[in-house]
Amino acid sequence: MIKNYLKIALRNLWKDKTFTGLNMLGLTVAFTVAILLSVYALFELSYDRFHENIDRIYNVYTTAQSPDGPEVSTAKPIPFALALQKEVPGVEKITKYNGGNVLVTYGDKQLRMEAAYVDPDFFSIFSFPVIKGNEQHLVEDESSIVITQKTAKTLFGEENALGKTVNILQQGRQRPYTISSILEDIPTQSTMRFHLALNFKNQSDFVYADNLTNWEKSNHRVYLKLSEGVKPSQFEKATRSFTALHREKFINDLKRDGVLPDTNGQYIQQRLLPYKDIHFATEKNGTARTSRLYPYLVLGIAFLILFIASANFINMSIAKSSGRLREIGMRKTLGANKFQLFFQFWGESVLIYSLAVLMGIGLAHLLCGQFQTVFRTAASFTNVMGPLTIFAFFTGVVVITLIAGGYPALFMTKLGILQSLKGKMEASGKNRLRDGLLIVQFGITILLISGTMILWDQLEYMRSKDVGFNKEQVIAFPLNGKREDAQAMQLLRNELANTPGIVNITASNNILGLGKDGTSSTSAMGFDYKGRGVTTNILIVDHDYTETLDLQILKGRSFSRDHKSDSLGLVINQAMADALQEKDPLRAHIILNDTVRYSVIGVVKDFNFQGFDKTIAPLTLFLNPKWNMRNVYVKVSGSNPLQSMDRIERAWAKIEPNAEFLGSFLDENIDRTLIKERLMTKMIGSGSILAVILSCVGLFAMSLLVVNQRRKEIGIRKVVGASVATITILLGKEFLKLVGIAFLIAAPLAWWFSFQWLQGYVYRIDLSVLTFLFAGGIVLVIAIATIGTKTIGAALQNPAKSLRTE
Amino acid sequence: MLIELKNIFKWVNSGGNRFFLLKDINLKIEQGAFISVMGPSGSGKSTLLNILGMLDTFDEGDYYFNGQPVHQLKEKYRSRLYKEHIGFVFQAYHLIDELTVYENIETPLLYKKVSSPERKALVSDMLDRFNIVGKKDLFPAQLSGGQQQLVGVARALISKPKLLLADEPTGNLNSKQGAEIMELFKRLNQEDGVTVVQVTHSEKNAAYGSQILELLDGRIISK
Ligand SMILES: Nc1ncnc2c1ncn2[C@@H]1O[C@H](COP(=O)(O)OP(=O)(O)OP(=O)(O)O)[C@@H](O)[C@H]1O
Ligand SMILES: [Mg+2]
Repeated sequence: MIKNYLKIALRNLWKDKTFTGLNMLGLTVAFTVAILLSVYALFELSYDRFHENIDRIYNVYTTAQSPDGPEVSTAKPIPFALALQKEVPGVEKITKYNGGNVLVTYGDKQLRMEAAYVDPDFFSIFSFPVIKGNEQHLVEDESSIVITQKTAKTLFGEENALGKTVNILQQGRQRPYTISSILEDIPTQSTMRFHLALNFKNQSDFVYADNLTNWEKSNHRVYLKLSEGVKPSQFEKATRSFTALHREKFINDLKRDGVLPDTNGQYIQQRLLPYKDIHFATEKNGTARTSRLYPYLVLGIAFLILFIASANFINMSIAKSSGRLREIGMRKTLGANKFQLFFQFWGESVLIYSLAVLMGIGLAHLLCGQFQTVFRTAASFTNVMGPLTIFAFFTGVVVITLIAGGYPALFMTKLGILQSLKGKMEASGKNRLRDGLLIVQFGITILLISGTMILWDQLEYMRSKDVGFNKEQVIAFPLNGKREDAQAMQLLRNELANTPGIVNITASNNILGLGKDGTSSTSAMGFDYKGRGVTTNILIVDHDYTETLDLQILKGRSFSRDHKSDSLGLVINQAMADALQEKDPLRAHIILNDTVRYSVIGVVKDFNFQGFDKTIAPLTLFLNPKWNMRNVYVKVSGSNPLQSMDRIERAWAKIEPNAEFLGSFLDENIDRTLIKERLMTKMIGSGSILAVILSCVGLFAMSLLVVNQRRKEIGIRKVVGASVATITILLGKEFLKLVGIAFLIAAPLAWWFSFQWLQGYVYRIDLSVLTFLFAGGIVLVIAIATIGTKTIGAALQNPAKSLRTE
Repeated sequence: MLIELKNIFKWVNSGGNRFFLLKDINLKIEQGAFISVMGPSGSGKSTLLNILGMLDTFDEGDYYFNGQPVHQLKEKYRSRLYKEHIGFVFQAYHLIDELTVYENIETPLLYKKVSSPERKALVSDMLDRFNIVGKKDLFPAQLSGGQQQLVGVARALISKPKLLLADEPTGNLNSKQGAEIMELFKRLNQEDGVTVVQVTHSEKNAAYGSQILELLDGRIISK
């Protein structure tokens, strides 16, 4: 019996090569893309899941009330962690954490590495298993460090790394450390990444030793593992008296400034952010919000694409089924029961689907590498594969085939025998389903196309926005060498002096946008000004900063080498000037550290020193070339900037022969901050192209069938005198109506989604009706073209011929 | 008594009017009979045949098949009954295009769950008997109309039915091909004792039967 079914299935598929081909093509492409997109989404969603205690690990952050509303901070003072564990019940383990860049020397090898400064309990909270060496008491000994397998390989090659000693440059001198343990490589899906881990106490005195009892300076993160059964909300509540005790002074300052407490009467609230959410967390109105929007969006697109392909399949199967009704009727008279027939027809669908899934898996596997490059992801089959995903995948496939194959099978087999034998379907019902599916298909397509266009517009808007500084002609790179920063700067200035194409050189402790090394940081401070608390972002700069970046001076002047007192001068931005509430900001003086008096010497126009999702905040520039500078900015002339880039690279190589040159133009840096948006544009964009193609395949097949089924009618109409145009319109009309309905449904939805999404940006485009009309127009034109190819042909055909074939 | 119809009515409602397809049909068919049903187009011949074959339902009256009250049986039992005992031959052959001659004949056996070697034997027998061994691997489209109908009859007979129902089996055939099929029916009736009910428009073909049933406007006007 099965053999008989299989035989007839294959013969049927073979007989209808066009449809089988179109179906296979559509389904295979859909499965390939859906699999790749799902791999990506699952990869993102599986971030940090490898920690065994993931459900009990939290990051402690603070919401502090301020005149500008609640503000979030993850930075904690040094005594915080220990005190919290002692004074608030519910903490099973707690650790301080600080990331940093260190220079590691082994023999003549010298490498910049990511270091994690942690307390020993770090390793019993997080799961970074040891594969070699001491398994307990990691980093307890302050002269030993822990490295990952990969680090061991970079430093020592094939040699045994355990027990080896390396030097790390700290506070200007080399300090030896012994390698006590080697960790398994950190999984790709880890938010926390480091090459080596040291005891927290090994940080410079400036960070650690000087602040052992200082509650005023916050400089690291704190993670904890709650005891079994402790609810985070419960714990947060329990921290209130703790906070009140230790931050009394700060709270009093807030009260004095007239800052309002939150709804629970708190000025500062300790909060817990589940570690499993950390990859998806953003700050909003003083609390951390988790949004898994992007991965779910991608997963959603995968399903939409499968839906479109399956809708094609259902439509084609039903449209074609009239050709097989006689077979069904005949089989019934020969004694087949409904179930046997259902399984026969469903089985044919399963056959097609299985083939498509297999080819899809194969293709996805082949294309995975390209997918990774295009979408800049490390997602691959291996890092999302697990029994659960495999099970879910197959369940998904079974459910889809059950519906997509089952519906037409049910539809065909439930007809009465006589009706089937006549080979005629009742016209009702079937077209409603077909039309419904087509509407949803077109709707999805319109949704995706308009989504892509809006994403693209917003992306272009952000890229081309006037950010208030010169981004086209300024090259920035990190000071990642061994030399002290001020010295390196001096050497660079000397090296590049009189070099053609180089206009200005400066440095600062922060990067604009996101540099090639992928790091960025912000620093901020608060102080009292005329009895009010004012917070400002701070930027420590070298000479020529405003000139190099072409910042526009609104009032006063910039820092100058001619004024020796400028080390106590401040250049502020417009937002800061507003925050000071001075008629003439140039008269403002600020006392810091209780005694040092700084005066404002200039005001610059606001520029986007942070992302586009934030309003421009108050910013204060300090001149301190001796400070930890981190980044160099070089303004080059407009002619041949690439040659200038070369020259800078060569100069840098002379000064720091062992350091990699990571220079990039600032507009590239800005682009880098838009990676998520770009990625989404690419994904939704390719999704919509695919949706268009698949919908076209479906539409093409449908028009083919309609033309075939109505061949006789077309012939008769022509004999009676209908023109080619009227016949084409007659055939195309019903489909175009569907596009219209789809547009009416999809456009408002698309508008609503994009509106919600754009709310996340302070700098955003205005939605225009034209975008949606354009998306609808594209679909309409493509639909007309697709239908037209078949219908015009049919309308042109000689009626004698079409009547004869009937 | 193989079949007994008592006061069978069938109607359709159109626009509030009841349109009768069959009116008060009373009919007894003995095992081994050969009946030809005649009548003008639209008189209800096919309708009657479909009711006899349990492919169609009726609105009033009793139908006993082999002593069993068909009008009281559930769909499941009815289909079991016709699967066991009835074979159909259609004017339009209704062969399955995607199956070969051999496979077409074999299909009813598959639904009856006959074992594979037995199936082989039965189908070979049938091919022999109908002289179409040479055609067994051809598809219906590769056969002439007469040959297709031969396959149709072979398929109807493969499950050894008590009753063979044929709706204008020669309608699409030329007179020579038609005569061959009629000869075949006669032989089946006389040698194997198969009860035959056929619908036909031709007096000549009707004469092969032992009894003629005349329909007009859904009524039996002569037996
Ligand atoms: N489903 C139906 N609904 C309404 N009328 C029907 C239906 N089926 C058949 N009829 C009508 O019933 C009558 C009998 O039809 P039937 O097919 O039995 O005729 P017939 O005697 O076989 O004719 P022919 O010799 O042309 O095959 C016809 O008038 C037909 O229009
Ligand atoms: Mg008829």
